[in-house]
Amino acid sequence: MNVALKFERNELSSNEVQLKVVGDVTIHTSSRLREQLKPLFTVKIKRIQVVLDQVDFMDSSGIATLVEGMQWSRMTGGHFVLSGLSDNVRDVFSLAKLDTVFEIEDSPAA
Amino acid sequence: MASAGTDDIATSSCGNSLDGKLCLQLESNSDCIDVLRSMVTVMTARAAMSDLRSNRVAIAVDELFANIAAHAYGGDPGMVEFETAIYNENEDQMLIFDFRDYAQVRWHGDIDKITSQPLDVEHLCPGGLGLRLIHSVADCCEHNVLKNGNHWRLIFNIGDGENDECSA
Repeated sequence: MNVALKFERNELSSNEVQLKVVGDVTIHTSSRLREQLKPLFTVKIKRIQVVLDQVDFMDSSGIATLVEGMQWSRMTGGHFVLSGLSDNVRDVFSLAKLDTVFEIEDSPAA
Repeated sequence: MASAGTDDIATSSCGNSLDGKLCLQLESNSDCIDVLRSMVTVMTARAAMSDLRSNRVAIAVDELFANIAAHAYGGDPGMVEFETAIYNENEDQMLIFDFRDYAQVRWHGDIDKITSQPLDVEHLCPGGLGLRLIHSVADCCEHNVLKNGNHWRLIFNIGDGENDECSA
């Protein structure tokens, strides 16, 4: 259990950003994920990749935050991608029937 | 899924509890979810559940607590009593979690009705997923409206009732 949520932001190119998330995304921490995500949705950034390979637990508040991200990306004409989901997190997306709604990559780009 | 008016609850009324019941009284602050997660980890290990099933149990407990905190108490501090144990009923074993709140808001919704509605993936809105997750992972979710709050019970079958590969 990793109750503190940490982030690492990498500029992959002039219009592509990667956000690595480390820790558990719960009702207690999901607001911090939202704070990190929201500023990324600008006209300039065309692709946002959220790396979740170090997230072992995510509840519906985390999923709801990512749903918001997907909607923000549609509004700005960008591309919103999740990558590196752990088995547990992928299972929660499947239970919520959202595993086919998001674009999900197996592993983050180098 | 059940809901009924009741004066109060007897949380140990079903079957015979094995030794090792865990009880906790806590405020409905969101950081208490982490405390509940620790208790879930202990109980699912005792029940010899797989990592995947343990995570599903943790999700259900997390979501129910979050619902009580956000909707029953409206984000204000309120008391939640939490109890968990493994019970024997005939030949079956069940892992049971009881939640008791003292909120003025008594929930009168129908979980089955809410969760049976198809998910509108084209018009997703944040929120509303918690009950769906609870419904999809718990073998039973019972709700009783009390005179001074709510009682919720989550039941997870152990052993034969466990199916990690089941699709929700």
